Amino acid sequence: MSGGVYGGDEVGALVFDVGSHTVRAGYAGEDCPKADFPTAIGVEMIDQMETDGGEVKPEKKLSIDTNKLLYPKKGAEVVNCLEDGMIKDWDTFEALLNHTYKNYIRSDSDLHPVLVTEPAWNSREKREKLAELMFEKYNAPAFFVCKSPVLTAFANGRYTGVILDSGATHTSAVPVHDGFVLQQSFVKSPLAGDFVLMQCREMLKSMNIDVVPHYMVASKEEVKVDAPAKWEKKKNLPEVTESWKRYMLNHTLKDFAASILQVSDTTYNEMECMNMAKVPYYFPNGFNHEFGPERLSVVENLFNPINVRGAAPNSMLGVPHVVTSCINMCDVDIRPGLYNSVIVTGGNTLLQGFTDRLNWELSSKTPPTMRLKVNCTSSSVERKYSPWIGGSILASLGTFQQMWISKLEYEEGGKSCVERKCP
Amino acid sequence: MAASSDVCDILELKGDESKTMTKASIINAGIKKKPKQKENVFKRPEGMHRELYALLYHDNMDKPPLLPTDTMQTYQTAKAKLSCTVVRPWRWMPFTNPARSDGAIFHHWRREEDQAKDYQFAKFDKTVQVPVYSEQEYHQHLSREDWSQDETAHVFELCRRFDLRWHVVYDRYDHSRFPQEKKRTLEDIKERFYSICNSLNKIRKQPGEVVEEIVFDADHERRRRQQLRKLYARTEKQVEEEAMLIEELKRIEVRKRERDKKSQDLQKLIAFDSGNEGFKGRAERKSSKKRISGVRKDGQPGDEKISETTYGIKFPDTKSSGVMLRSQMMKLPISVGQKKTKSLEQLLTELKIDMHPMPTENVVQLFNRLRSDMVYLYDLKVAYASYEMELQTLRYKWDAIAPGHLPPVEDLNFHLEKMDQTSARKRPVDTQSDADSAQKTDSASDQLIDVGCPSPPVKKPLLE
Repeated sequence: MSGGVYGGDEVGALVFDVGSHTVRAGYAGEDCPKADFPTAIGVEMIDQMETDGGEVKPEKKLSIDTNKLLYPKKGAEVVNCLEDGMIKDWDTFEALLNHTYKNYIRSDSDLHPVLVTEPAWNSREKREKLAELMFEKYNAPAFFVCKSPVLTAFANGRYTGVILDSGATHTSAVPVHDGFVLQQSFVKSPLAGDFVLMQCREMLKSMNIDVVPHYMVASKEEVKVDAPAKWEKKKNLPEVTESWKRYMLNHTLKDFAASILQVSDTTYNEMECMNMAKVPYYFPNGFNHEFGPERLSVVENLFNPINVRGAAPNSMLGVPHVVTSCINMCDVDIRPGLYNSVIVTGGNTLLQGFTDRLNWELSSKTPPTMRLKVNCTSSSVERKYSPWIGGSILASLGTFQQMWISKLEYEEGGKSCVERKCP
Repeated sequence: MAASSDVCDILELKGDESKTMTKASIINAGIKKKPKQKENVFKRPEGMHRELYALLYHDNMDKPPLLPTDTMQTYQTAKAKLSCTVVRPWRWMPFTNPARSDGAIFHHWRREEDQAKDYQFAKFDKTVQVPVYSEQEYHQHLSREDWSQDETAHVFELCRRFDLRWHVVYDRYDHSRFPQEKKRTLEDIKERFYSICNSLNKIRKQPGEVVEEIVFDADHERRRRQQLRKLYARTEKQVEEEAMLIEELKRIEVRKRERDKKSQDLQKLIAFDSGNEGFKGRAERKSSKKRISGVRKDGQPGDEKISETTYGIKFPDTKSSGVMLRSQMMKLPISVGQKKTKSLEQLLTELKIDMHPMPTENVVQLFNRLRSDMVYLYDLKVAYASYEMELQTLRYKWDAIAPGHLPPVEDLNFHLEKMDQTSARKRPVDTQSDADSAQKTDSASDQLIDVGCPSPPVKKPLLE
């Protein structure tokens, strides 16, 4: 009954938000997740010594969490248990849950009800399997699975709106009406964070800049702008896999993207951007270069995917198009409400100037009879964690406590109760 | 206070302080000080002024304050008396939620004393009542050809699950399970649902009971949404065009209003003119009307009536109480604008008339009338100039639209004369041949004038 005035009642629930980039987990009722670590994990195959059985069985050695993952190890492949936002590799997913329970929650899993987020397009089998896992493996007293756009809307204090989520693997716009996702009319596009990194890589390649990830650099010296880098490679580096190398390269590029890239205010015009102030960037090996119009042109493809190399035109939707086509697929009666509450979330939207550009693009596409409002929290923490925060709010509401699927219900009704109880 | 309760607590003494805290005990409500009884020692004798009585000193009165003080009882937030009683402990305890059907046990923090109470959030468990029908009822009353029983059941299932959130119901509707030639629309589903609700209400009602029917006009809904869809589907160009048309319409209306105003002005002028020239018939009629209504005025009723119009100067009634100078009667009323006053002065100096003549009764009257006429002349001149201007612009327009077909000015003049002639029957006709030659352009010029100054009053007989 703590804080009964605000309608809150905590039952010690846990909230898991497993994204394709990071895993967020923590106790409901808190304002920030306890755990935030990469979803990707390193898998090493180790040939075990021959045991009594006489059978040689390779054993997996997993490196989970930032520190372990970023340490170079021989033959460790980087795998991601998610595909298209949905859980694909259940063993790896379980390993992530185990790790979270052990290192962050630090409590028995049978004491805490669990709320897990899912993408709007999650399939029935996957959510049922998730329920099975939580009840039978982790012995959770209660379980609930909720669509992350709904939770994002809750975190923004709304129950109706279109949620634009631009994360690592995809950008999606999902309409939420009265706290329910309209499943027929969501729109998804692969132009998101990973795409931006790919574009950065291409650009640096075309500029003949060799990106050296952190792990290779033993020491470096300061050099002048555009001068060749003076650095020493670390000795006795183990033989690492291609996937791990790529992961590390992306890791470096992520920093590059966050500190250099900027979305132009209006449609990118090379002439106008020529005399923009240049911004220097220091690569891990000490090489530095001042970036000018490239800063804008790289991300322009997010909004205007005509110039994407190696893709047929119109095969991918730019960010504003994702939003408008999503709204236009909805019923005419609810369109004004959706335009009036476009909620922006996801790490990719933290690119400098992203929301301004989105606002500009959408305002030219909004019908004159409707009012456009783009909601975005200015704090990066809330933008990154908004589905988790929404889950934290929801699971600590007094009125929500009747909605859990309890263990008893699961045992009586079987898996199918997930579909019935979780909209 | 706080210390004593703590001490009691430490010594494990159960004083009366150990009673549990309530909201009332915290804010110390309920205990009100008794108002002081006022004892009047000396009653105010009859006839004594209150002010004087208040100055008298009596025993239970303090000395009168030197400074004004404000010690009135006003609204104050109650002071909380905290830490006067023992704390009420919280426990992490199990609870069942009456809103749940399975009686699952969860744990939460709760005050020990509230242990027995029901879960406070259970009361928010509200659902929309969706009617239930039996198989028999369905077969007897509700079956329809284009809806199978399964599909109807599906609709009701969804309505119950989503509490009649229609957009969500439609979103989750299983079209693949119930394939139709034409995909079911939201209106179809709503129509089916409400018609079943209505017929259920009808067959279940007690005799004599009045049941309100739920009105759902599916066709209207369909049309409305079709229109909405069209409205939203407009292209930018169409929107712009519409905005332009609306703007144009506004402009036309403004112009029309201006013209109306002008013609009204003209009408007034003409009416005044005819009144001044002794248009007896009309004046007589007016005055007779007045007589009928029982108001009778001295002097010339017609003149008076007409001078009420804004033309000329309306000098205020001088019959005010008290003594006044006759020169006051010559003072121009404020209603005469500055422009008019200036032109008046100018004209007076031109005519070499003294601005302030000796105000004998005769002079005052004549002087006032003169100035009134002057103002009237001024108004006429202004009106004439504006019409002339309009005529000129229309001629230019005409010339632009159909160059070379412009009727000569004389023709126009003739046309005007003809109009006068037909109405007034006084002026002699100048030339018949002119009239013939003008015949061809007549209709055109007629139109022109009608556009320029819609002037029905011109056609009225000015003189008899």
